[in-house]
Amino acid sequence: MSRTLHSTLDVSVIVPIVERYGNLQQLHHEFAAELTRLGQKSEFIFVVDDSQRGALPVLRELQKREGERISIVQLNGSFGESAALMLGLERARGEKIMTLAAYFQVEPRGIGPALAALDEGADLVAGRRFPRIDSFFNRVQSRLFHWFVRRLTSTDFHDISCGFKVMRRRVARELHLYGGQHRFIPILAMNRGFTVREVQLPQRSEDRPARFLGAGAYLGRLLDILTIFFLVKFTRTPLRFFGLLGLFLFGSGFVIDLIVATQKIVWNLEISDRPLLLLGVLLMVLGVQTLSLGLLGEMIIFTHARNVRDYRVAEVIRGSRGETVSEIPTGRQPVPPLEISPAAEEREPGPALQVS
Amino acid sequence: MDLSIVIPLYNEEESVDALYQEVTTAAEALDREYELILVDDGSRDATRAKLRVLCARDPRIKGIFFRRNYGQTAAIQAGFDQARGRVVITLDGDLQNDPQDFGLLLRHLDEGYDVVCGWRKDRKDSFSRRLPSIVANRLISALTGTPIHDNGCTLKAYRGDIVRRARLYAEMHRFLAPMMSLSGARYKEVVVNHRARQFGTSKYGFSRIWKVFLDLLTIKMLLGFTTRPAVWFGLLSLPFLVGTIFAFAISVYRHLTLLPHMQYSLVFPTITILFVFAAAHLIVLGVFAELVVKVGDFRQAETILATVDDPGESHHEQNIAQHA
Repeated sequence: MSRTLHSTLDVSVIVPIVERYGNLQQLHHEFAAELTRLGQKSEFIFVVDDSQRGALPVLRELQKREGERISIVQLNGSFGESAALMLGLERARGEKIMTLAAYFQVEPRGIGPALAALDEGADLVAGRRFPRIDSFFNRVQSRLFHWFVRRLTSTDFHDISCGFKVMRRRVARELHLYGGQHRFIPILAMNRGFTVREVQLPQRSEDRPARFLGAGAYLGRLLDILTIFFLVKFTRTPLRFFGLLGLFLFGSGFVIDLIVATQKIVWNLEISDRPLLLLGVLLMVLGVQTLSLGLLGEMIIFTHARNVRDYRVAEVIRGSRGETVSEIPTGRQPVPPLEISPAAEEREPGPALQVS
Repeated sequence: MDLSIVIPLYNEEESVDALYQEVTTAAEALDREYELILVDDGSRDATRAKLRVLCARDPRIKGIFFRRNYGQTAAIQAGFDQARGRVVITLDGDLQNDPQDFGLLLRHLDEGYDVVCGWRKDRKDSFSRRLPSIVANRLISALTGTPIHDNGCTLKAYRGDIVRRARLYAEMHRFLAPMMSLSGARYKEVVVNHRARQFGTSKYGFSRIWKVFLDLLTIKMLLGFTTRPAVWFGLLSLPFLVGTIFAFAISVYRHLTLLPHMQYSLVFPTITILFVFAAAHLIVLGVFAELVVKVGDFRQAETILATVDDPGESHHEQNIAQHA
């Protein structure tokens, strides 16, 4: 790797090739050309999942032609898109980092406005395919998905599953994605206190065909949304979530049984053949279980994250000459914000990886 | 450093300058070396810009700027993290607290208290603003056993070493004093001046009551459960064990007294099973919780405040953990 490339690099483009890929040669050609036209020196990092080995010959050829502007990270296993992105981010050297789907989703001419938004002070720019020209089915499922996401995370994104994102390096440094979290990058960044903007990009016609996912995949999406909802809202306060739910369950069970018991006492109504009594008991038991799990969650946070800070400081200014000490609160180690699974990065397989 | 003054600010552009004037005037009158820690909690108005101007003018100021709005608890914790003073005073950024009360608070602190809380006895807010506060305070007093009238008052003075041990999260600033008192801090309440809001709007409403309740429940449970999880979870399972015995007894009794023409109802046997499940679940969780606490970094001694008689120390309070 030459020093000169490193020092003059503006944008690192990361292309995770995990589920499917399109014409990679052309993808690279068009986006690289647009970046050059905008005066941005770029590098492309292709992260190839084991299941997509078919893409390798094309990429090798591309690398032969373009040299060090192309890196290929080859995973010797299927670890999912989040892992692929993380490995790409690790190698990215540009001050700005762009992620791109491995097929044509948006027109390259969308890069200009996105970079402009970044220059205007955004830390992360999320692409939104708009106006959408793809199949009705795609649009309906996307609408539904985003409606849920907006509701549960109280954000206002319309197309977080669009692969096109541009972010500053400092955002990338704080992303610790695992599982299905790559879909929620804008929300996670926002939660960290970064300025996130959505920019409308013209959709490509190649993105048109309807995509049907298996029933399992849809269930997975739903659980992903719930996970993010929990992560964003209740990471520090699990008992608020479980506690409310548990109290509600317990309360309703209690009321039901109270009614049954009153009927027994007042009207001497036979109690033993009433399923309602059973329902009440069941609800109370469920309530206590939910509550106690929340309590355990709270204990985990309390005993494992006591020194973790809730807030992210943009800067600390000491008086007088107004010297700016950026990012790091003085006197203490910069503490990373709470991670549900701090070991996630370490879990990424080191040896199962080849870089060429 | 004798005194750190921590002020959380959120969208207080009109108040900032007047606040600075009042606080510095009051602090100078105390004749102590002090620092002013201004925490901007992600304001969206001119607060940031105004703070920058102040920072450039006064070397005693330390400005902390959050990336976004994280809430008052986080702002106060950030201030605590930066505070170097032997004594730390917190107050609101909306000019409703009176900096002239600093002297009063410090006098009481010097009497040997760890926390001195302001009490806005004569509160200058609308009833709709006061009602949720009254309910919340009653709740906090009842559940923590610390009869503090006004937990919501930000104007408080703390001994510095307590502050440096505080680990606030969620919305704990509301029961900071009860929490500290539960870990052994001696507190005192003094009536302070309260002024009507001149600028801006209040940032609180009634919706916070349920949060207060759940947070309280959390703290209450955490303090007990974390030290002896298996025991507490075991106690929690006790009602279910008793329930199991009763439900089982009833099932057996009904079975034995069953007349030939009647059908045996499965309601009570099922209830027995449910209760057994619940009890077993709780006992297993208790054991699991022991494990969680064991691998965590919880040190009970760190949460305990104790008075250590050490002739070498002018300030006789010491953290037991430092000696252990």
